[in-house]
Amino acid sequence: MASSVVKNALKAIRERGLGNFFRELKEEGYLNCLSDGNLLQTKIHNIGAKLVGVDKVGNRYYEKLDIQYGRHRWVEYAEKGRYNASQVPAEWHGWLHYITDNTGDELLMLKPKRYGIEHKENFSGEGEELIYHSKGHALNPGQRNWTRYQPWEPTKA
Amino acid sequence: MGLGMLASRVMRPTASKLPRNLLSHFHIRPIVSTPESSAAQAQPEPEPTPPPRAPVAGARVHFKNPDDAIEVFVDGYPVKIPKGMTVLQACEVAGVDIPRFCYHSRLSIAGNCRMCLVEVEKSPKPVASCAMPALPGMKIKTDTPVAKKAREGVMEFLLMNHPLDCPICDQGGECDLQDQSMAFGSDRGRFTEMKRSVVDKNLGPLVKTVMTRCIQCTRCVRFATEVAGVQDLGMLGRGSGEEIGTYVEKLMTSELSGNVIDICPVGALTSKPFAFKARNWELKGTETIDVTDAVGSNIRIDSRGPEVLRILPRLNEDINEEWISDKTRFFYDGLKRQRLNDPMIRGADGRFKAVSWRDALAVVAEVAHQTKPEEIVGIAGQLSDAESMMALKDFLNKMGSNNVWCEGNGVNTDADLRSGYLMNSGIAGLEKADVFLLVGTQPRVEAAMVNARIQKTVRATQAKVGYIGPAADFNYDHQHLGIGPQTLIEIAEGRHPFCSALLNAKNPAIIVGAGLFERKDKDAIFSAVETISKYAKVVRPDWNGFNVLLLNAAQAAALDLGLVPESGKSIESAKFVYLMGADDVNMEKVPVDAFVVYQGHHGDRGVYRANVILPAAAFSEKEGTYENTEGCVQQTLPAVPTVGDARDDWKIIRALSEVAGVRLPYDSLGAIRSRIKTVAPNLVHMDEREPATFSASLKPDFSHKMSLTAFGSTIENFYMTDSITRASKIMAQCSALLLKK
Repeated sequence: MASSVVKNALKAIRERGLGNFFRELKEEGYLNCLSDGNLLQTKIHNIGAKLVGVDKVGNRYYEKLDIQYGRHRWVEYAEKGRYNASQVPAEWHGWLHYITDNTGDELLMLKPKRYGIEHKENFSGEGEELIYHSKGHALNPGQRNWTRYQPWEPTKA
Repeated sequence: MGLGMLASRVMRPTASKLPRNLLSHFHIRPIVSTPESSAAQAQPEPEPTPPPRAPVAGARVHFKNPDDAIEVFVDGYPVKIPKGMTVLQACEVAGVDIPRFCYHSRLSIAGNCRMCLVEVEKSPKPVASCAMPALPGMKIKTDTPVAKKAREGVMEFLLMNHPLDCPICDQGGECDLQDQSMAFGSDRGRFTEMKRSVVDKNLGPLVKTVMTRCIQCTRCVRFATEVAGVQDLGMLGRGSGEEIGTYVEKLMTSELSGNVIDICPVGALTSKPFAFKARNWELKGTETIDVTDAVGSNIRIDSRGPEVLRILPRLNEDINEEWISDKTRFFYDGLKRQRLNDPMIRGADGRFKAVSWRDALAVVAEVAHQTKPEEIVGIAGQLSDAESMMALKDFLNKMGSNNVWCEGNGVNTDADLRSGYLMNSGIAGLEKADVFLLVGTQPRVEAAMVNARIQKTVRATQAKVGYIGPAADFNYDHQHLGIGPQTLIEIAEGRHPFCSALLNAKNPAIIVGAGLFERKDKDAIFSAVETISKYAKVVRPDWNGFNVLLLNAAQAAALDLGLVPESGKSIESAKFVYLMGADDVNMEKVPVDAFVVYQGHHGDRGVYRANVILPAAAFSEKEGTYENTEGCVQQTLPAVPTVGDARDDWKIIRALSEVAGVRLPYDSLGAIRSRIKTVAPNLVHMDEREPATFSASLKPDFSHKMSLTAFGSTIENFYMTDSITRASKIMAQCSALLLKK
């Protein structure tokens, strides 16, 4: 297995050149692996696993059936630095958590077009402007007007 | 009738029998409880007499003549009732609430819903208790299987053609049919055919009709004819084609039409402005009073959060019974429109700019100090409460001016004798009168609830009504005697044919309109009226028939507090005018260089001339004392919060006095009321009517210095009389549709 990894790497260098190879290494998050053990472990896990699908933000969903049941599905986040579980969109949530065997792509075909808002990750701690505020919240830019009376307008005077 | 009361009523008899009944109830229950099933439970031991119950809703028995008392037995319990009471009333006295739809204690008896069937011993059939007079020794049974079966059957018939739309019905939650079908109806129906449907009628902008829901109780028809005095509604067709309607398409033009919403036991007649706005259990009720006229009808303001959602009448036998006028019921949307919510100052460019309270009060205080005391004028509006008027008067007095009055009271009104400006008979007392003389007043538009009393009296006793004033629409028989003072003089001198009616009357009542306060020859008119009352013996120790019908909620309290101007010409020479919600003052009389402060809650006529606007609370947002036209003192309670930066009226004046350096010696409602107590002690006796002590005979004698201009109509538009009603969209609709000639 290890030999095939090296062989693939050498092949990629040959095809795309060393600069491109290193850029890809960085983009794929292999550099982050040096400091992030979780990501490294995921990368090692990915070897030989089946890529089930890629969602709209680029998260990659893997499955390997010869691993212990219940640990055989996982995700490699598109975001290599600050990834968190809320980045998994709703359609893939069910597959990832063994709620359903239908993949996110299959579920997406069932989703009605008319309603439902796009999935957004949880931005808590990322800045007030990104966080969800309820319709009456002072920080909501589209804050609803709860005034139940109509004031007299002096301009008409 | 509350659901809880009904439920306990149903539960009670079964609860005592439960151990015995338990077995037989395990069988599949038939659609009705048959007499056989209960006959099987033969009672081995005689049941003890049930303990007496409290009468329903505090029903009281009044024996005019002790000999008339008869005794009947309701469910074995003896009750004493006066002769002539119906079986249903006897049951109420005995504490048994009989289900009913068509019966209403203030309307004539129709007996057509059959819901009130009870069993009477030795009667072959169940009897309709609302229409059956109770006879001595009658044994009435209200919880026997026969009575139950009768109710269940009637309910099944009523529900046959009643749509199953409670979830979208505005009556849902306060529906008599809903409650009573839960309590007395069957748990299943046998109806499989199509339901009848009826075309909805257009009764105008206030009453929404869903005639398919109607159960033909005819309460609305009887209300329209008997209380409202209009022949608009009637019953058409027979059998299943029977429907309530106006025959030809016609709007209901009564000023009491909103009350049919209350008396309708189902959701056939509901409030149009309230349609689909809220459910009744979401609402917070605040028991307060109405200020749109001088009657002071008792109302309940139903609100949700900061919004007033509807207004309902409250029972007060002395004032409004259980009705209110359409203006009272539907003007509430005006409370949400055109509100003043920030203190504002008019800048040099003539534009208003919102400022802080501190700045606004500082400007007012500075200008007030620069003005000569005799050029300061204060006018209280028609919606002012007694507390704020007291504060206004005290403030202006401390500033050195005594030119303070309440609009509508005129400039030379005599506030010394209470009998000179109150309805001395009382509103309920009008029912004792047998001849009415209306001088320059049209009660139908000036005080609809007083008019309803007169209508009731005329209907009950054929009392004569004479009317002096411009041609007007009355909803009862009356004689139009003339249009102006000429007729009044004729009556005063005894030359008029109506004099004989006055002289022959046992309790003659003269009602003088407060619109005459504004006339120059007011004193002459009043002394003419006094001459009449003297020779017709209108004022006697046992009967005081001299009445003044006031127009505004503030008038009586203002006169009690002595808000009369020092000089009649004060407004023309004013340099500083303080308008406390006064919108009906003739602004053209105010000099151009005068500084006008408008304190009020609505952007109405007054603000356009104002230099400073101080936002105040409306009557639904504050606690305030009001005295109605008969001298009954009542108070409003806050139902909703104030809007924006508005404050209570008296607090604004109190704050202003402090900024101006003439601090008023009270800073709480209690303190201001003890100040009122020193001026007019009757104003602190809440919910009590303080009759005037001296009669008007101390006044100067009749002189002929009357101008012969005819009396005008004081109120042009019944639906729009003050700043709140003028802001209301519903009232605008009403005046557009209903006042069309």
